[in-house]
Amino acid sequence: MSAKNLKEVSTEYMLFKAEREEQFMTGSEAVREAIRRSNIDMSIVYPITPQSESSHLVGDLYAEGYVKEYLRGENEFAVMSEVAGGAMAGIRMFTATCGPGTLRAFENFPMWSGARLPIVIAFMTRAINAPLSIQPDNIEMSMLLDTGMIMLHAENAQEFYDMLLMSFSVAERTSVHIPVGVFVDGFFVTHTRQKVKVVIEDVKLQGYDPAMSPTPTIDMETPPFRYMKDPFVMKSNYVSYAAHASWQQECMASIERARPYIKALMGDFIERENPGAPIQIVASGTAVSQSRAAIKMAESEGIEVGLVKIKSIRPFPAEEVKKALATAQKIIVPEFNRVGWLAREVASVIPNNDRMVKGPRVFGGMTMPPDVIVKAIKGDTRCGV
Amino acid sequence: MSKKTLSIRMSGLGGQGAVTAAHIIGSAAVIDGKNATVNPFFGAEKRLAPAESYVRISDEVIYDTGEILYPDIIMVFHPDVILSGKSYTMPFFAGLQQNGTIIVNSDFPFAFTEDEQAELDALNAKVYFLQATLLAREIGGTDLATNIAMIGALVGVTKVVSMDAVEEALKERFGGAAKFVASATTAVLDDAIKAKYAKAEKLIEANMKVLTAVSAQAESLVAA
Amino acid sequence: MSLAITKINPAFTDVMPQEYLDLVADGPFGTNKSAKDLGLFKELIEDHPLCAGCNLAMAFRTLISSLPAPEDTVIVGSTGCNSLVFPQLAIHNVHSLFGNQNAVATGLKRGLKLRFPDKNKDVVVMAGDGATADIGFDMTLHSWIRGEKITTVMFDNELYANTGGQESGMTQFGTVRNMAPTGKKFQKIQVTEFAKLAGCVYVAKLSTANTAKIGQCLRNAVLVAREIGPTYIQIYTPCSTNLKIKPADSVALAKKRVKDDYAFEEYMTAEAEQLLVASGAIKPKKQKDQADKA
Repeated sequence: MSAKNLKEVSTEYMLFKAEREEQFMTGSEAVREAIRRSNIDMSIVYPITPQSESSHLVGDLYAEGYVKEYLRGENEFAVMSEVAGGAMAGIRMFTATCGPGTLRAFENFPMWSGARLPIVIAFMTRAINAPLSIQPDNIEMSMLLDTGMIMLHAENAQEFYDMLLMSFSVAERTSVHIPVGVFVDGFFVTHTRQKVKVVIEDVKLQGYDPAMSPTPTIDMETPPFRYMKDPFVMKSNYVSYAAHASWQQECMASIERARPYIKALMGDFIERENPGAPIQIVASGTAVSQSRAAIKMAESEGIEVGLVKIKSIRPFPAEEVKKALATAQKIIVPEFNRVGWLAREVASVIPNNDRMVKGPRVFGGMTMPPDVIVKAIKGDTRCGV
Repeated sequence: MSKKTLSIRMSGLGGQGAVTAAHIIGSAAVIDGKNATVNPFFGAEKRLAPAESYVRISDEVIYDTGEILYPDIIMVFHPDVILSGKSYTMPFFAGLQQNGTIIVNSDFPFAFTEDEQAELDALNAKVYFLQATLLAREIGGTDLATNIAMIGALVGVTKVVSMDAVEEALKERFGGAAKFVASATTAVLDDAIKAKYAKAEKLIEANMKVLTAVSAQAESLVAA
Repeated sequence: MSLAITKINPAFTDVMPQEYLDLVADGPFGTNKSAKDLGLFKELIEDHPLCAGCNLAMAFRTLISSLPAPEDTVIVGSTGCNSLVFPQLAIHNVHSLFGNQNAVATGLKRGLKLRFPDKNKDVVVMAGDGATADIGFDMTLHSWIRGEKITTVMFDNELYANTGGQESGMTQFGTVRNMAPTGKKFQKIQVTEFAKLAGCVYVAKLSTANTAKIGQCLRNAVLVAREIGPTYIQIYTPCSTNLKIKPADSVALAKKRVKDDYAFEEYMTAEAEQLLVASGAIKPKKQKDQADKA
């Protein structure tokens, strides 16, 4: 296999037709395998646990010729600005960060969206200080909900791999053209070695075409030459208010317009187990895996429990979730964070919130023993709020 | 947790190779046609600091992830894990399942405290002491093979993976054909051990010698 | 650029604004115009919303008219008074965030190099002293340390003008400003010295007292950045509004400061000098010295 002889294929071919092989690898290695096939031009990165290893591996791809340009930036704020610069120049960018790095970089994310930059970024979530913890915890997702990016939450390394591969195509659609964040619970996915089916054919995704951007690329090749990125109206008058408001609405609308593209590549926004069960668990990310284990344990005790797995957080599958939970009598939302952001999202789209058990919640690093979810199923009031 | 999943928790000191050992056992299980997941304790890795790693092996899909709270097998890579509390899990057998197995690497057998022994008796735990580091040094020529010796001990005591699969997994890990990605700190130690042997084959050969010897000794312990 | 982007579809000519038509017909794209030709061509910036007598606007006009290849230049600005000028500039330009200009420029420059490996795409950063030396100083320095082939221009008005005259790192010691009610307690940051240490191969420090020089220095800086490495220009642009002086007195102030503590300084590495001499931009120093002796 050589970086030079890869044939360009569509995302559909890559996801559904290309020959795959099952390999035993960590989530970080799954990132490398996805980026190997993604035909990215440049990656700029900064170390932070548990994200660093995946970015080392993207560096290896650069050394091998799969990535054209790569560097370590000076901090996450700078890195996300450097990534923005590359995207403005009309090239395909990829980066990754997590936890404190996400917050250090934060001002950039709404800017990416407002500047209509189709950057793909992996978040390998981690706890946020204080006190210092470098452990898994996905509280940063609650802070990113309204930054104007598409947010996909992968359960395991396989889904991480597939979601990364599909994201470029979604992000780069003319009618979308906003950043896509692919999230996994750090460590649980990045550092766990598991079976992953990866593409082994000598193929890569078709390259990014800057001519498809809805706003001009900053290259002095794209008309009009009188162009400023971004729409910038500093005068305080009603025209400038309207310009900002309508632009922001357009960014929000572009997330919604991504729905059919996401669905075509990822399948339904939600996945279900035991749809008829009166007790339903709603979860995303690693909490789904812990819930699946809990459902098996409950089953062995004769209790039938259903599962609604949410794969896309933005756009949020409001209608699908509402429908899936229409007849549920008890809804349990286990989460790996303190604030219960998924419970809030779910509560905002379903009636009769008194059916909900907003927990159990584990945060600061520990795993969530399936036994605790079983306790919640059985009605232990200590397992939720 | 599904009873059909076998859970192994390994406690050692940073640099002893508990993470690598978990990787090799997990790979071997996959080579044997089973499902496996492997992960380290999530945190900063520092040499001689407590280190823990986890392997889950099952014929079914494994969902539960993260640290193993209720292991079937506990492997202790260094007596300090028990004697000096160099461990993330206190006491070292916390969460051990009834009728569980404990394998301890120590140059000399030692007694647990009265309280510990009482709890272990109540659990009906089987405890095996093995001189893994000593054997690694004598047969493999380096303390760095302690983790390989511990894998031998596990195979000898439990037969959880086949010896052929372990050899195959070792080749994958150290053979150099497939580029294995270790964490930065592990990579440094990889280089150290590779430097000891001119060729990867020599390293694997030496490792297999250690494995076979320790495995045989472990088998005899079980038989006794 | 191919200049094709300036071509207007004939069917749309009648609806294009007159000044756009003028830019296409008489603009500086591909004509190698410079500041000394001002008045003889349609400028890329002709209007600004800044205060009357703004020295930054003066410097800006000179800089833009001195770009060696405006048709292949992109500019990165930052938040501040200068960012108000950019929407009226007829060159692709970026406003991103406050302070991240050299980081954005890094990504832009490398991205354009990947897309146009055989073309010179000049990336020029133009930002105030707050953006360059305070909030974005780490990114300014790191872009230099990494050797990014970009030109950085600082408009040094020694305060935060856009937010109402607060102390900046470039404010002189002891000066009373907003947020420094009893006077600034540390020295003005020696950014030109940092620039040399961090690897800038061409550094110039000057003021609006000599606008012709601004144009020459920018040309030098862009040519050197194109071929060798990072370049830096620091221009004193007094803010009459926040200094509470008459707009007409601002150039006189700049001239006074040149005498006091803001004299023209130019530094370049031997390699940069060789390049500029070869391109005819400057005369060789030794020759000049010998000519002076004779």
